[in-house]
Amino acid sequence: MSTAESPSAVRKVVVHLRATGDAPILKQAKFKILGTDKFAKVIEFLRRQLHRDTLFVYVNSAFSPNPDELVIDLYNNFGFDGKLVVNYACSMAWG
Amino acid sequence: MDALSWDGTLTSRDFLVSARAFAEKWKEFNSAFPPWTWVPCPPKQPTCYLPQLQQQRQGYLSLEKTCLPGSSKKGHVASQEDIDEISLTEGEEELEPVDNATLVETNNSPQVCYYDFHIVHSDSYRVPVLYFRGYYIDGHPLALDEIEKDLPACSAKVLLESKWTFITQEEHPYLNRPWYKLHPCGTSEWMKLLFLGDDSLAKNGVAVEQYLVSWLSVVGQVVGIRIPFEMLNNPKSCN
Repeated sequence: MSTAESPSAVRKVVVHLRATGDAPILKQAKFKILGTDKFAKVIEFLRRQLHRDTLFVYVNSAFSPNPDELVIDLYNNFGFDGKLVVNYACSMAWG
Repeated sequence: MDALSWDGTLTSRDFLVSARAFAEKWKEFNSAFPPWTWVPCPPKQPTCYLPQLQQQRQGYLSLEKTCLPGSSKKGHVASQEDIDEISLTEGEEELEPVDNATLVETNNSPQVCYYDFHIVHSDSYRVPVLYFRGYYIDGHPLALDEIEKDLPACSAKVLLESKWTFITQEEHPYLNRPWYKLHPCGTSEWMKLLFLGDDSLAKNGVAVEQYLVSWLSVVGQVVGIRIPFEMLNNPKSCN
């Protein structure tokens, strides 16, 4: 299922990575991450997968989450259908 | 606004609409933080050339005398200890007054720094632009290398890589004094991405009122301004 929950276990969140613009599509678009992880981990994962230093990462409600946000907080506020949809593009924000 | 043909920019009229909506939402959901206020400005050109409506649009959003989360300068370790101590003694009777102020003090400059942020509409890029400055409690301005220490780690990295295309010192368009400016070249590009990424927005058109909230979710990361989730939760509430 999308989220595994038990009183003692740490909750996991399903993150759906969706390419936009000219960004390459990942072979595996969905993966599980600990809710207690920071969003920075998702960005880092994408950077490694795409071999790109600069990425523009944003969530379905038209904003770019702060890397320090916890994944569980983002999921609770902006997740639906048991997952958090994260869009990514290869454009640079600055320069 | 039709989302499909939208290029990510904002007219000065829409900027004012968005600025008002943003300031209201900020006050509602982020009341612990100082408010953003609209500062009207006299037009840069002689008044007779501009229709009256356009004159009223001249101005900027302002958040002044705020502290950045990372800003504590040299007293960083000491202030960290203060916080721990406060949380440890929480709930207990305050039997003796605690004065930690002397502990934080270091031998040279004062540590408390303030920041002023202005959001100005750029006529040439047609997007909001962030101007800011930092200063010590005594009013002494911070140089960019001092500001850098208060910025999140990722900003310091970008600053190093793109020295002339990220943050530079420029003349404030209304105050005519040197302020730091975040370059707006890519703004319309990523604003378009942000808004078109949402299927419902693509169908219903672009919510101008939400523009600055989305914009600051990106720009705020550069300087360490956080936006509460509540402001982001309901992008179409202003329609």
